[in-house]
Amino acid sequence: MFEFFIFILLPLISSIFCYYIRNLRVQYSVSLGVSILHLVLSLSVFLGYYHADLPFFFSVDSLSKFFLLILSNVYFWVVLVSFSYLKRPVTSKAQEGKKYYFLLLNFYLTANSAAMLSNHFGMYWVAAEATTLSVAPLIFYYRNEEALEAMWKYLFLVSVGIAFAFIGILFLTLSAKGSLLEGKQLFFWEFIKNAKELNPIWLKASFIFIFAGLSTKIGIAPMHSGDIDATSNAPSPVAALMSGSLRLTSLIGVLRILQIIRPTSSYEFAKIILIIGGLLSLFVAFVFMFKVNNYKRMLAYSSVEHLGLITLGIGVGGLAFVGAMYHAIYNSITKVVLFLTAGNIHSRYKSREVSNVTSALRTMPITGWLFLLSFFAISGIPPFGIFFSEIKIFEGLLFSDKPVILFASMFFLLFIFINMGKIIFTMLYKKGENDQLEAGTERFEFIHLSVILLLILLTVIAVISPDVIYQNIINVTKDFGMNL
Amino acid sequence: MENVLSILFCLSLFYVSISSRVKGYVTVLQLQGLLLSVIIVIPFIYDFSIFGIILPVTLLVVKVFLIPKYIKKIILDLDIKRMIEPTIQQFTFLLLVIVSMVVIFVVSNILSQRTELNVIPFASGFSAIVIGIYIIMFRKKLIVHVAGFLILENGIFLFGTAVASELPMMIELGILLDVFVVVFLMGIALNNISSTLKGFDVTALGRLKD
Amino acid sequence: MEIEILQGIISLLIILGFSPLFAGLINKLKAVLTGRIGAPVWQPYYDLKRLFKKETINATVSSFVSRISPVINFVTVAVAATMLPIGFWKPLISFNGDIILFAYILGLARFIQILAAMDIGSSFEGMGAAREATFALFAEPIFFFTLGSVAFISGLSSIYDIYYSIQLNNISYIVFIVICSISAFLLAVTECSRMPVDDPNTHLELTMIHEVMILDNSGIDLFLYQYSGYIKLFIYAILEISFFYPFSAQSYLVGVMIFVIGSFILALTLATVETITSRFKMKNIPQYLLFATAIGILNLLIYTFTK
Repeated sequence: MFEFFIFILLPLISSIFCYYIRNLRVQYSVSLGVSILHLVLSLSVFLGYYHADLPFFFSVDSLSKFFLLILSNVYFWVVLVSFSYLKRPVTSKAQEGKKYYFLLLNFYLTANSAAMLSNHFGMYWVAAEATTLSVAPLIFYYRNEEALEAMWKYLFLVSVGIAFAFIGILFLTLSAKGSLLEGKQLFFWEFIKNAKELNPIWLKASFIFIFAGLSTKIGIAPMHSGDIDATSNAPSPVAALMSGSLRLTSLIGVLRILQIIRPTSSYEFAKIILIIGGLLSLFVAFVFMFKVNNYKRMLAYSSVEHLGLITLGIGVGGLAFVGAMYHAIYNSITKVVLFLTAGNIHSRYKSREVSNVTSALRTMPITGWLFLLSFFAISGIPPFGIFFSEIKIFEGLLFSDKPVILFASMFFLLFIFINMGKIIFTMLYKKGENDQLEAGTERFEFIHLSVILLLILLTVIAVISPDVIYQNIINVTKDFGMNL
Repeated sequence: MENVLSILFCLSLFYVSISSRVKGYVTVLQLQGLLLSVIIVIPFIYDFSIFGIILPVTLLVVKVFLIPKYIKKIILDLDIKRMIEPTIQQFTFLLLVIVSMVVIFVVSNILSQRTELNVIPFASGFSAIVIGIYIIMFRKKLIVHVAGFLILENGIFLFGTAVASELPMMIELGILLDVFVVVFLMGIALNNISSTLKGFDVTALGRLKD
Repeated sequence: MEIEILQGIISLLIILGFSPLFAGLINKLKAVLTGRIGAPVWQPYYDLKRLFKKETINATVSSFVSRISPVINFVTVAVAATMLPIGFWKPLISFNGDIILFAYILGLARFIQILAAMDIGSSFEGMGAAREATFALFAEPIFFFTLGSVAFISGLSSIYDIYYSIQLNNISYIVFIVICSISAFLLAVTECSRMPVDDPNTHLELTMIHEVMILDNSGIDLFLYQYSGYIKLFIYAILEISFFYPFSAQSYLVGVMIFVIGSFILALTLATVETITSRFKMKNIPQYLLFATAIGILNLLIYTFTK
């Protein structure tokens, strides 16, 4: 009961608290306290110091443990920098957005924790829809036209997508007709146990609907457009949250249905769908990197790319699956770093257009260097984590039965790297006509410190590669019934 | 009895596809909400329990009163013109609807030979889902998109009763609450769209692209 | 056997005799609903009498088509009338497949009328004929999907048998019949040029559909046209009312009572609809007709897949 209180109820209570207490500083302290508690508890659950036993429709297994840790890690850092972010001047209209910022952030934590810990499809659906509801007003933080449009599109597209996922869940019920599961509740574990008895046609339909519906939220092509708009127009901490954890919250739904489909004859079919989704996302990122002229959109496409890579790894299975799990954690941290530094650049140059940002390295050296470093991190340059996870995915691809996929994805990744590099080096080095911004006057802020800490964390995890994480990922693969 | 109500549900779908006023959509939403509440209240006629009646009553309140009233309020507040502004001719739209419905009925009949399911509510629900998507695709006004989304949700609900899946009441209530809040947020967004973007239709949304 | 023929003849005479009364009833009710006193119920009879006495004048450019058209029109409609049951009497003409004859003999009436309208060469009448033909195209599927679905369910193909076989012991059957009657009502409105589709009282040629086609007729020709119009309205009313016969025990007296009450209710409904609705825009009419067809298709689907 205690962990249920910390993971789900406490954020909810603190979000209600934020509704009544309007002082930003108090809100911030409370939210930070909640996030630290959440992080500590999820870390101790992950390390095995605390045995979690949740009531109702919630439970903990290796997968949810792992994803919950990623969530609370990302959330903690985002909350940490939120206050200094909120202090930045905005238009008078946007002042109103600050009032609800922490409220929604706390609600976001509730919804996401509930979605990750749920062991019942209905509960998962409700929580996943709630995450959309919490994030949509946050996208509208700046109260300008672009943000409004992004919010509308995101809300609408994702709601329709989630509705489709619900159809998939209903199909899953249908697939249980005539088996032991008929008339029972939609608990994950029961389905996994009796997966072989499910009707394959409905199971396939269910997989397609759930995958297509949730991919609006995961941001996999071809349903990525709402996500791209939202991520690129949201304030940077929110964008970091979305890229780092919200997408994984939806990915967990796909993983659950995959876990059910794993022992059945439909597994090959599901694999192909996932591989197509992953490759298509890489392709979309590859195409749009050529023409993108907005650096936040560029980062959003980079998210599409990496989620595509994760999906690809999951689809191929085996070693690539392990790589994908590692990739999930490294990607989430790197995305936070990238979006926070990009947010700094945005607040300095007041523009998201690449052409308006010139010689960033001279005008804001700290942010500039950090941005460059995080670009290396996301591109998979050692010693940052992504390098190791990508290597694992590639290894898995190479030893799978379809090594051709490896060449295709390497090709896409190469060009994505080149184009991203071109854009980022232009921003950092190119001399512009409006260089009236003073050089080298950037103060060392709190955000910089957190970014540095995060980069160190990323490297440390990758280099030391704690046995706990490895063991947990192995447990996840065992749950999926894969032999390495 | 469920079949009869599903047929009425289908009729409301036909009506919505020829209706050219926003008000017609709201009326249809109310009607569908009523039909759905009656469908789920039927089992309780024989086996009455206070606990079981909560869901139908909530459904009735949310789908028949709260949401339509809210949409009406938005229409009044924003002074939205009453025509729906379709992008294709209504006749073509209705033809499309009929063809899709025939296909859905035939396919679900074929499927029902393998799995035991209630063909008419199943096919009606699925038709509502498809028609909801058509409405979103072929109408310009954003408020009509919201109505289309709600028709889609109603379809899913009917569909759910057809496959006889019984979710726990807490979760059903959660779903209802989610849908309500979605509509609420969409209403707020519409309010803002009309004041900042000066328009109620999709042409006002064209800023974000690559 | 002779009794049946006698009954058939009486049915025909009822249809021929009371059809103007039905039209008068609708007009009277409509007047009352709009707050006027209105013409007496017998007014259509006076009109017909007046027309009967007048001289017939044909345009000089018209050919023989114009001369034979009113007669053919009247005769075909009268033949169609002989196929309908009143009460539980077997109609004069009844055989397997007469449902198709019924549809196309009315089609013939329409065809010859359109031909006659174009024969004179007036641009208005040509326009009316074009509209009539277009809307008839959309109206025909309604008939076949409505009556056709009942035929399909009962497995019978004679109008009398179909109506005779309707049973109301099953609740979904009742809904089915109600839906069918909605569709049949829309059909009646269209075929008889009533309000939401066509305004029988309009005075502007440009907005007319049916009325514009008989602008150039007079005297006995106009009499025949008007009379066959009344009969047609009554025929469709019977088609509609017949759906509700089986509520009674199958006795003649109750059948007749249902018939009378049904006619009155139908007239009231038509009058109400005409009072509360305005005429559709010309371009919206096809979708309205398609809507009625859709109902028929829905019926067919439901019954095919629940058997």
